[in-house]
Amino acid sequence: MSPRLIKTEAVVEGRVEERWTLVEDDATPEYDDANPPAVIGTPTPRVTARTRLDGSARYTSDIKLPAQLEAAVLRSPHANAKLTAIDVEAARAVPGVRCVVTPDDDLPAYGGSALLTAEPGYAGAAVAAVAAESAEAAEAALAALAPQWEELGFIINMDVAADAQHFIEDPTEYERGDVDAALEGAAHVVEAEYRVPAQLHNSMEPHCAVAEWRGEDLTVWSSTQAIYEGRAELARAFGIPAERVRVICEFMGGGFGSKFGVGPEGVLAAALAKRSRHPVRLVYSRREENLTAGYRSEARGELRLGADADGTLRGIEASVVMGLGSDGWTYPILEPMKAVYKCDNVRGFVLPVAQNLGPTAAFRAPGVMEGTFMLEIALDELADAVGMDPLELRRINYVEDDQQAGRPYSSKNLLDCYDRAAELAGWPDRDGLRSEGRIRRGMGMATQIWWGGGGPPAYAEVRVGRDARPMLEIGMQDLGTGVTTACAMITAERLGVSPQEVLVLAGDTTRAGHGPASGGSMTLASVAPAVRAAAHDSRAQLLDLAADMFEIAASDLTLEDGEIRSVDGTLRRPITDLTGKLGNAWVTGRGSRSPNPDGMSVNTFGCQIAQVAVDTHTGVARVERIVAVHDIGRVVNPMGAR
Amino acid sequence: MQVRVDINGERHERDVPGELTLASLLRDDLGLTGTKVACGEGTCGSCTVLVDGHAVLSCLTLVAAIDGAEVRTVESDGELLTRLRQAFTANDGFQCGFCTPGQLMSALALLETTPSPSREQIVDAMSGNLCRCGAYEGIVDAVTEAAG
Repeated sequence: MSPRLIKTEAVVEGRVEERWTLVEDDATPEYDDANPPAVIGTPTPRVTARTRLDGSARYTSDIKLPAQLEAAVLRSPHANAKLTAIDVEAARAVPGVRCVVTPDDDLPAYGGSALLTAEPGYAGAAVAAVAAESAEAAEAALAALAPQWEELGFIINMDVAADAQHFIEDPTEYERGDVDAALEGAAHVVEAEYRVPAQLHNSMEPHCAVAEWRGEDLTVWSSTQAIYEGRAELARAFGIPAERVRVICEFMGGGFGSKFGVGPEGVLAAALAKRSRHPVRLVYSRREENLTAGYRSEARGELRLGADADGTLRGIEASVVMGLGSDGWTYPILEPMKAVYKCDNVRGFVLPVAQNLGPTAAFRAPGVMEGTFMLEIALDELADAVGMDPLELRRINYVEDDQQAGRPYSSKNLLDCYDRAAELAGWPDRDGLRSEGRIRRGMGMATQIWWGGGGPPAYAEVRVGRDARPMLEIGMQDLGTGVTTACAMITAERLGVSPQEVLVLAGDTTRAGHGPASGGSMTLASVAPAVRAAAHDSRAQLLDLAADMFEIAASDLTLEDGEIRSVDGTLRRPITDLTGKLGNAWVTGRGSRSPNPDGMSVNTFGCQIAQVAVDTHTGVARVERIVAVHDIGRVVNPMGAR
Repeated sequence: MQVRVDINGERHERDVPGELTLASLLRDDLGLTGTKVACGEGTCGSCTVLVDGHAVLSCLTLVAAIDGAEVRTVESDGELLTRLRQAFTANDGFQCGFCTPGQLMSALALLETTPSPSREQIVDAMSGNLCRCGAYEGIVDAVTEAAG
């Protein structure tokens, strides 16, 4: 079990990262698919149910520390402006106000940008901040600041920004084969433009943070999908070692991609706490949430697809503009064009434009959703031109391997997804839905691709003490997807107890082991193997102890239904007969996530079919039915996967 | 001004400013943080509590306006609320749980006045409670099951 450092490749929200990772050998046997353990795959209610249903679950916005101050942020009302005057003294004079900061103060930066700016480039940009004894006093202080502005010209329209060449970073280009020749020689060519609107995340719990300093040690409660990323952000901002920073997120009210890290709100709360020498809570209002907490980028794409007379794809060309507002990165919008269908000739171009709008953020398959929307509708147009069933067109252009990396996928069952979705939706009979009346019905389908699958690093510890109830420690957060319940089930299976008996300790960077961010469809697939290895390790230790105590070889013992049993049936004793002798000691099992197999791409695939009715008088569209068939691997908790 | 309210069976007499909202009284003054404020403007239903048996939005309700009222929150007890909690658990009627206290209180108000609602009545009564995770199916199933 000696640890090793290896180099691994990870795809996080579409960004490929190569990193060194500490791993340990994992001796845990694979699940026996012919005879799977009872608990895995059994619908199991969430282990967090009780606390979430009786009001006792404490979310970040519920945290109230002694002498805690409330923070509020002055935000620009203009899309582009210069601050010409601000009355700091008047704000400081408001009763209860403890701290006022403006761009003139020496504050830490967040992600390379200043926390506060006197030249706000979007409506909602942070200009000044206050901390006061009550939210009312903080609001009064903001009003007293009475800022004066010189308004400047601005561009919020994406097309105008593209024409004006306001780019946020360099364009992305991709090319394989000879697209021009391919399209020239194609029997059918379709050409179309598609637009995808911006979308706001609007998590129920707004972005928020509570910060407290004790000497040089900083603790931040954050509504975050990534406590470790948050820890790194804070350590960087304040120039302190990450080990002096603790980030806690026990419960959080949704993130949807907009909460990777503690965000500027976390750094600002910590800066105000440092200056005021009080704990500070900063909770965004719904208006702030919508102006400054991220959104899905809007996009416009011009696509050209060419096919042979039999529907075989010859070439794909996509020229895309993405509106990234004041911040963001070029989300992987070309990925569907590059990966989903067999095609030797692909060319793509993405212009990421800057607008006088708030920053974009990752949002549920960022980029890939937009790219899929464009490509899949263009394929329907192509199917029409070829005179072919749209699903059949997808089938004949199926590709087995990863065309970009030139290697196989770890698994790909897309053709089965097509079959099953078509059967469930009644795809072959869809023409029967057509009518000439006011309400027109139709059925459409699309192929899904994403990364997912997880990988290292992820670590876990499982302790078992005298009451035989396992304590699972994982250094990650549950944003509501039920990962803690799945991890409790995985632990329970190895230790012969019920999932409700497992105490999951998570959401705190001082917990044992570092865990992944909650996102990218990779959370459980990253952490679960580490949890299983840790539970197996503690099981092996318990069985060794039992072997000594009962004088039966450990290999002849098992843990089931709260009992230590011998495989020959002669021994059946409660596990507590053993663990009760541990006193206040416990056994500790450790586990880490092993790397994925070399030479393979890990992606997920699926097929969705929708039945939609459109009222031709009002234009109102109603999605009447959706069939989604996804190859999602082993389902740990069907109740959570529903 | 001087007000008296019963909150989860406990009497509170206070001198409150006119602009104090019920949500703020519950969360900030009494530490009853089970009631969530998600939008703060009466759109989402997260802050729903019962005032004299009616589901109200506590973020828009002034304490000064409910002198003498009986308030119940997600922290309260009761046979019907226990049944609802069990049904929300069994039907997975939540994910992140942030909207759940409001969902529970809207469901409680419905079942206290309409013990056997139709599915349509349930959907209608719960329509003011947003769930961003999309647990709506589970929520409607849970309320249906709790109604028995």
